[in-house]
Amino acid sequence: MQQLFFFGKHTISNTLNIYIKTSNGSTLSMNLNPQWDIKNVKEIVGPKLGLQPEELKIIFAGKELSDTVIIADCDLGQCSVLHAVKTKRPVKFDNSGVFSEELEDVGSKPLCETLKDLSNNEDLPDNNQQPKAHFYVYCATCKAMKQGKLRVRCHFCKSGAFTVHSDPQSWTDVLESKRITGQCENRPEECENILNNTEPTFADFYFKCAEHTSLGEDDEAVPLFLVRSNVRSIPCLACGDVCNPILVFPCLEGHVTCLECFNVYCSSRLRDRQFYQHAEYGYTLPCPTGCEHSYITEVHHFRLLSEPQYAQYQKFATEEYVLNAGGVLCPQPNCGMGIIPEGDCRKIACIGGCGFVFCRLCLQGYHIGPCDLPDPDNTDRKDCDYNVDPVRASQARWDEASKVTIKVSTKPCPKCKTPTERDGGCMHMVCTRSGCGFNWCWVCQTPWTRDCMGSHWFG
Amino acid sequence: MAALPRRIIKETQRLLQEPVPGISAVPDESNARYFHVIVTGPEDSPFEGGLFKLELFLPEDYPMSAPKVRFITKIYHPNIDRLGRICLDILKDKWSPALQIRTVLLSIQALLSAPNPDDPLANDVAELWKVNEAEAIRNAKEWTRRYAMDN
Repeated sequence: MQQLFFFGKHTISNTLNIYIKTSNGSTLSMNLNPQWDIKNVKEIVGPKLGLQPEELKIIFAGKELSDTVIIADCDLGQCSVLHAVKTKRPVKFDNSGVFSEELEDVGSKPLCETLKDLSNNEDLPDNNQQPKAHFYVYCATCKAMKQGKLRVRCHFCKSGAFTVHSDPQSWTDVLESKRITGQCENRPEECENILNNTEPTFADFYFKCAEHTSLGEDDEAVPLFLVRSNVRSIPCLACGDVCNPILVFPCLEGHVTCLECFNVYCSSRLRDRQFYQHAEYGYTLPCPTGCEHSYITEVHHFRLLSEPQYAQYQKFATEEYVLNAGGVLCPQPNCGMGIIPEGDCRKIACIGGCGFVFCRLCLQGYHIGPCDLPDPDNTDRKDCDYNVDPVRASQARWDEASKVTIKVSTKPCPKCKTPTERDGGCMHMVCTRSGCGFNWCWVCQTPWTRDCMGSHWFG
Repeated sequence: MAALPRRIIKETQRLLQEPVPGISAVPDESNARYFHVIVTGPEDSPFEGGLFKLELFLPEDYPMSAPKVRFITKIYHPNIDRLGRICLDILKDKWSPALQIRTVLLSIQALLSAPNPDDPLANDVAELWKVNEAEAIRNAKEWTRRYAMDN
């Protein structure tokens, strides 16, 4: 008996709370039964606007929905917005026979039913066998990757009362503006006036999270367009498993990894600080097989990393940005504040951070005169008044031990000054810092030359 | 220790079920990421008839980083140094997660057939290979007989 009660409870929430925006600017709140069709909606909305149901158009996601469309098929979520506008089609009320025939073909299926899976390749032939589109987004509200829903609005007045002339065929159509034309149903005269009729009205595509209840028309999500549903059952290039969804790299070959291996790839590159600071795209990675022109252009894809890893990603990205912009990072332990100094001044104060004042050249405390790097062999002070156990003392130093180790075991890359350790092999060094890659000689600490090769390649 | 990734399990199974001709790779009993490898010297090379032992280790982030491979058997080869380290691009900057243990070992076998003295790791060997190939090949055969044929 108890179980029956539970079942009863679940059915109560089986209505959709929907907002209907009308062309006169008002918004109606309605509870819809998902099994209703659009004709039912028109019959309810029409009288509230003082119109006949036949005089209404219901617009959703760039499509005028036909009377026979069932609400449940429209990927509407709780609090979604439908648009109701008055149609300009001649409606003949008296001649009922002609009237029903005329309206038969008006409107279409919702976009989620007609849209095919988008590819990066624009030349792909229009194929009816192609599966329906699935979208993945990064949702800032849910703080995770979620399924997404594609929505359409007017490029000029941003109104959702807009119908497209054709479905987007590729990701370029969706991501770039002014690719798909349509009809603004909000204030068409205004939008056409803005344009002086010199160009057609264009559609703007955007995404919403399919998981949480819509927080309004501004509640958008970032499309993770490299994440696809694995409709062709492509195995992951790293683990060989066929997974779903997958990440398709933007290289010509379209290499595929599963999301788990993408995560391993990113965290491994992050650990080695091998992300690349791209001038246009930001701190990013190419295809793991090293294809040309394969950088990930939308860095929100790195939101697929765990929270702490993403925090580290942001930290590294900021640091690389500061360094690339000619800035310095505060050398004080646990500070690392990014500072972009003005001019060539050698004296830098960590303002807004720890307050440390240091020398730009040697990154030690600020000093007058030339930089004087202390000799690591000569660090112990002879004139100590206290008797201190030297072993204890060596263990109780604030980060001194690692400083000494770095100084003793590394040499700076002649180009970017990154302390570099040589753990074997020949004297030919290639700087591992991402974006540097300088070829240098461990012996001469200068660029690697043929002479180095001849005289001391192997030491 | 973390669970072994499925990819490593699958690669291992395939290596055991369909071994590459002339190559055997067997995981260590106590460490599934450590492989005992034996490569037979390719025909028509100075290494013919030799059995070369190698060790192969799959690091934590394999396949995102390359396996670590080293010859244990001494070998006279311009691209392999006296510690057995191998100069092979796919083990360094040309590594791709689409490569496998199998492809790495095949590449090493191919390197035995086609030494490349212009990209050397063992300088003296490379030098001799360039100025007096006949003598270098004699040395390689001698080392093969001495170190790779005893049982």
